[in-house]
Amino acid sequence: MRLELDSLTHRYGNEPAVDDVSFGLESGELVALLGPSGCGKTTLVQAIAGHIHPTAGRVLLRGADVTDVPAESRQVSVVFQQSTLFPHMTVSENVAYGLAARDTGSERRDEVVSEYLELVDLRDQRGAYPSELSGGQRRRVELARALAPQPDLLVLDEPLSALDRTLREQLRDEIARIQRETGVTTLFVTHDQEEAMTLADRLVVMNDGTVSGIGEPRTLYESPPTPFIASFLGRSNTFSATVIDQQPLTIAVGETEITLNGSQKDVSTGSTVTCHVRPRDISFRDSANDGANLSLAAEITRVVDIGTHYDVTVRIDTGDELVVECAGNPPAVGESLSLALSERQMTVFGPG
Amino acid sequence: MSLTEVFHGRRTSRTPELLVPAVLGGLILLYFALPFVAFLSRTGTANVVAGLSTPESQTAIRNSLLTAPISTAISTVLGVPLAYILARRSFPGKRLVEAVVILPLIVPPVVGGAMIITAVGRFTPIGAAATAAGIPLTDSLVGVILAQTFVAAPFVIITARAGFGAVDERLEQASRSLGYGPLSTFWNVSLPLARGAILAGVILTFARAIGEFGATMMVAYNPRTMPTRIWVDFITGGIDAIVPLALALLGITLAVLAAVQRFGRVPTVIER
Repeated sequence: MRLELDSLTHRYGNEPAVDDVSFGLESGELVALLGPSGCGKTTLVQAIAGHIHPTAGRVLLRGADVTDVPAESRQVSVVFQQSTLFPHMTVSENVAYGLAARDTGSERRDEVVSEYLELVDLRDQRGAYPSELSGGQRRRVELARALAPQPDLLVLDEPLSALDRTLREQLRDEIARIQRETGVTTLFVTHDQEEAMTLADRLVVMNDGTVSGIGEPRTLYESPPTPFIASFLGRSNTFSATVIDQQPLTIAVGETEITLNGSQKDVSTGSTVTCHVRPRDISFRDSANDGANLSLAAEITRVVDIGTHYDVTVRIDTGDELVVECAGNPPAVGESLSLALSERQMTVFGPG
Repeated sequence: MSLTEVFHGRRTSRTPELLVPAVLGGLILLYFALPFVAFLSRTGTANVVAGLSTPESQTAIRNSLLTAPISTAISTVLGVPLAYILARRSFPGKRLVEAVVILPLIVPPVVGGAMIITAVGRFTPIGAAATAAGIPLTDSLVGVILAQTFVAAPFVIITARAGFGAVDERLEQASRSLGYGPLSTFWNVSLPLARGAILAGVILTFARAIGEFGATMMVAYNPRTMPTRIWVDFITGGIDAIVPLALALLGITLAVLAAVQRFGRVPTVIER
């Protein structure tokens, strides 16, 4: 294991920031640490890089406990959201900075600087000062500077969040390419689930200082282990239901009883459960979707044309409102329809 | 009348927006300039060269040129690290430390001088020991340096602190993660980036030190520095007698200001 966090806990004064966080990165992996702002991501970055000493728990790099090792001896390179290029040094001086610390000879240093500027496609900007570069170029220089000393771990802390959309997508692809080419073990920290899902081999989803789930993007998206992940990864609808029978699990959604043959859930009869289903997995029942085995009666309350499709808001008889993505010919407001959804695409979470 | 019409109506009758601050600022500028000009206008009546070539003036100039740079150097070497700590860390008692830093600014210099005497005067344990060792701390050039440092050091500490505060801490973290310890990070990153502010502080401290009178008079009335000499000349000869030394003092300070600005100029990008 390249990086391992073992029950990491940090408090600022009495304010808990992260609580009992454990996860690891295999060598060469690109893992995204994903969560809403304020969930403790940056605190983890600081602990991994060695800029804060965690209140409890351990940080291990290549199996060695580095919790008490200062940042300069960890071989962890960090790229922050805001540029940290040294404004008083040129591009090549910035890239060479980490090499000089590791006693690379000056000739070899020049070679490595050229190599990494080549990698980020900036060979012509060697002599420029950071203030003369565009936002995207500055990001690329930072990547080159972080990679040049060949760190054991590259931590990217919201590296694209300060950029505009086009540039963000362009650099996202570039980061993917650079990571592939160098094979550097990378922890990509972001609040943007699209970014995380596009880039990462695995996701670590955080919420409120704790790990909410770890897994491959597709797996987490399709069978979310927690209600938080269900709602945070992609769009999601929630409605409540009551368990009325076990084996097979039968729930009542308002007046409608639904039997879930495939779901094994440890919930007692009479308890309230929460059901999650994605807007694009619901459709309006007609003869074409008989494969969808579940039906719910609903009334259309709102239709919004958002260009690529319509967002149709419906109210089911529990009073919960659901959003249905509808490709064309949306129903009219006030119409009563039957919703079609399949059990496979619905996730049921027990109380608590 | 519609809202847009009201808006446009207001705009046309608006006075220039900086008029009031400009008038107020102009008054204070005028008050700064008036005594300056009035004083300089008397230079014609006094023989500046002759005034500066007396042995007393020569000694005073030499003493000032010796002590003020040393006081400035001491203030900078001891003050800049303190400024860095104050900019970067919070710790119990920080408020107290900050209060101590500005203490010399709020204590009248002449009282500050009296305080120095009570601490290191000839009859105190420290002063007596120093005198016995052949380095009297009062009525000596060392005494002048003590007085100047006490009064002038806060300037470099306060400005350098603001300078370090303006350097994003993440630049230092980036340097650390690239393999540099705290000391080399300070030297490679924090210091060059705060350089402009530190130099401004050095100039202020030097100007304050070379012009120091109140505390110096208490701690070391002898040997004379330019300010104490000016006082003695004024007592005996009035305004015209002090014009040569006053002009020399002003000239030295301006020369130092110009030199530091020229040679210490931060190259290009930092003043973005």
